[in-house]
Amino acid sequence: MFEVALKALFLLLYATFVGFIFMGIIRKVSARIHRRVGPPLYQPILDTIKLLSKKSNITHGLIYDFGIIYALGATILALFFIPIGSVSILRAYGDLILITFLLEIPMLGIMFAAMSSGNPWAGLGAQRALLTLLAIQVPLGFAIVALAEFYGTFSTYQIVMAQQVSGWSITHVSLLLAAIAYDIVLQAMFGKEPFDIMIAPGEISLGPMVEFGGKHMGILQIQHAIALFAETLFFSNIFLGGAVVTIFASPVLNTIASLGILLIKQIAVLMVAIFIGNIFPRFTIDQAAKFYWKWPTIIAALGAVLASL
Amino acid sequence: MINELLIIIFAPLIAGVIAWALDIKGVREALGVIGAAIPLAYLIKLYPTVMGGETIQYDITFGGFTFNFVLAPMGLVFAMIAGVVGLAAVLGMASTARSSYEWLFALMSLTGVFGIFLSYDLLAFFIFWEVMTFGSFMMVLKYNKSASLKYFILSVIGAYAMLIAIGIIYARVGSFSFIKVYNAFAQDAALGMVGGETLFSRGDMAAIFGLFLVAFGVKAGTFPLHVWAPDAYSETNQSYTAMFSGVLSKTGVYGFILLYMLMGYRLMAEFGTFRSVPSFGYIIAFLGGLTIIVGGLLAALQEDIRKLFAYSSISQIGYILVAIGVGSALSIEAGIYHAISHALFKGLFFLIVATIIYRTGKTEFKDMGGLAEKMPFTFAMAFVAILSLAGIPPLVGFASKWLIFESVISQNMPILGGMVFFGSAIGFVYLIRFTYAVWFGQRPTDLDDVKDAPLPLAIGMGILALLNVVFGIAPGLVAGELNKIIGKDVIGGTIWELDIGVGKYNGLLITIWLVIGLLVAAIIYFLGARVRRVPVTDTYQSGNPVTMDYNLTIRRNFFLPLKEALSFWLRISFDKLYKDIGKTAEDFAETMKNYVYNGNVQSYAWYLAIILLILAMWGV
Repeated sequence: MFEVALKALFLLLYATFVGFIFMGIIRKVSARIHRRVGPPLYQPILDTIKLLSKKSNITHGLIYDFGIIYALGATILALFFIPIGSVSILRAYGDLILITFLLEIPMLGIMFAAMSSGNPWAGLGAQRALLTLLAIQVPLGFAIVALAEFYGTFSTYQIVMAQQVSGWSITHVSLLLAAIAYDIVLQAMFGKEPFDIMIAPGEISLGPMVEFGGKHMGILQIQHAIALFAETLFFSNIFLGGAVVTIFASPVLNTIASLGILLIKQIAVLMVAIFIGNIFPRFTIDQAAKFYWKWPTIIAALGAVLASL
Repeated sequence: MINELLIIIFAPLIAGVIAWALDIKGVREALGVIGAAIPLAYLIKLYPTVMGGETIQYDITFGGFTFNFVLAPMGLVFAMIAGVVGLAAVLGMASTARSSYEWLFALMSLTGVFGIFLSYDLLAFFIFWEVMTFGSFMMVLKYNKSASLKYFILSVIGAYAMLIAIGIIYARVGSFSFIKVYNAFAQDAALGMVGGETLFSRGDMAAIFGLFLVAFGVKAGTFPLHVWAPDAYSETNQSYTAMFSGVLSKTGVYGFILLYMLMGYRLMAEFGTFRSVPSFGYIIAFLGGLTIIVGGLLAALQEDIRKLFAYSSISQIGYILVAIGVGSALSIEAGIYHAISHALFKGLFFLIVATIIYRTGKTEFKDMGGLAEKMPFTFAMAFVAILSLAGIPPLVGFASKWLIFESVISQNMPILGGMVFFGSAIGFVYLIRFTYAVWFGQRPTDLDDVKDAPLPLAIGMGILALLNVVFGIAPGLVAGELNKIIGKDVIGGTIWELDIGVGKYNGLLITIWLVIGLLVAAIIYFLGARVRRVPVTDTYQSGNPVTMDYNLTIRRNFFLPLKEALSFWLRISFDKLYKDIGKTAEDFAETMKNYVYNGNVQSYAWYLAIILLILAMWGV
């Protein structure tokens, strides 16, 4: 019991910290792509501390507060179900479908909070967020189906273990197709261009986030950091082989090594997203829907059909 | 002593007739609630006996036919759904029903439903099917004539398709009894395997399957036979719709399961399998998949709260059909599980809709907004229902959807899997639209003195919401009972956990860790400085001041981009097609009337001459 609590605490702190560094990396790399110096890597942490220590906060009612808390709580819940090397707490229940759902439900909290503010921009942002969610769900679904059909199990941990034996998922043609589709979906899940339609800075004043400030925004920053960590981790686990290192005698060394390998894979996933995000302008929402229902869907469906043969 | 089964079936009808005859305000409500509570009480009393393996039967001979009634585990589970949701709906009606007329027909349709689930021969099944259809038709007729006629015509087509199918079966088997019919089909399947002479030819089987598909498809609201549902579900007492959508649509689902149980082997032997799924089942499943998508997308584009949930209901039935169509023991259990959870959350939703309409008198999104503050209890109930329908763990909607996902995908059905995935996203999408337009944002000033739900409705909602939560946290409670239907442990695990071999789901663990997550978030929240409450007009509007005169909430055409993206597909409408067919039939009838009954005496003489000529040629 105590051990589980300790692990959970470690995982939470690690995920939050790494997530913030990821946010820093996004800003730093984007700056370098634009030939700027950019902020230091720890800048998002400073931003969040500033936001959390604001003296004056506003609220539009109970749901406005609860939605934010729910968003962070659900993100933390999702995190615990994804296997992280050998640290994970609930990896026996780390079901593909469950995690896919859990990674989506924080959005519900954000939207509840945003919409309860009554701001028209927030309503517009919620509409765009929902349509993006609807658009990505088709290729995402097929990618998940492809994985489950290929490995014959829904357990993420077992999929990681299977990859230890038979090589990374992306070395198989059917799963490579699924991974490509999933990676295009990730762009929207991270909220990066060309699919940052939900936030759309400069176009609809940050959409759902428009009315948040102070500690509400600070909590959303933490949520974003953990979600970023969880999403990259999930992708690395299911497509890039995850990491379960057992070569060292000491379990501590093994854990550190697995975390290190996972970190490299996560950063690789993130880099692809940043590069794409920085060179493509934003789609409009109907373009995004049509795009996701065309190429990524065809690719992922092909992968799913191949995997089931 | 009168048999328990008869009491279960006829108690609602008798209560309804008495309530109608007395027509005293207060008494009729009490009678209605008693009429719905008695069957539930009996079902609960008989539950341990029946689930213990004993069946309770009752035969009655009437009008030359013997009707068999049996309370078997499968029927019992469905009858329990009907009992619980029926009671909740009737409690809701105690607030919203306007006349004794509604009590009579609402309870009559409940009798029909119990009769369907308890009958054990095709004739009784058909008769109660008609009783149910008639009761619900009369409920719709009171509110809207054209909606009720549409429902009636499609129901009649379905019912007569069923009657013909039953006729074919009776002609070959010589009995209506499920047991004899089942034996005949099983024997036929075995004979067909070894190439012997079978009772039913290939054509017979195709005809029976097709006719039953139409019959059950109409009632379940399968695409493309769903067009009656949005009108009929919306144009009636919304408390009654809790039962209409929650229970009456389940009779179609039950019909499909019956199809599997009675003639599944025979159909599989005749038409073979598609990959690992029986071909005939794949047809059901594929139609179910289309139903999910069509129902969901149309739900998102509705501007009327009742229509939205009507389409949502269609969409959710699609899930059940996909699961049942796939036809493995696991997926059929998953389908029944979803039938239970759909009845629970959709019953809850329609009671919420009933409350909103009862209190505000408005049905369209453009007239609503900001009701969460005025109706906190109803909003809390809506919150549970939203989480459950959208499939958010740890509510029952997730447990059943999860089972459907895994059972379908583990049968190597990638395309069906993709369709089901799409369905879960679209469910999310239309629910948030409902949430946004009704509960949040700026409140129109004419809704300022709205009160919360009346007590009977609140009790009805409370019952359903509680079950949504309990079955969600302890999904094994339902799974354990479903295992008893199939007779073996298809879904393993404890009461907290579902274990189907390829995956595991634990409702309790998720609840615990969600609470931990929420606690962590709450700690961070409460460490920050205090919050100051601001009014809805104190908001960012590109730096401009706003007053209540501005409309801040997007209430119309919320998903316009979706409409535009789908504009090509939305032009294809089955509703229009049926209307055109109906119009053509009317024109044809008109033409026939003009030509045949033309009022010319000489032409009637000619008809006579022609008939005589025919008779002469026949050699009479």
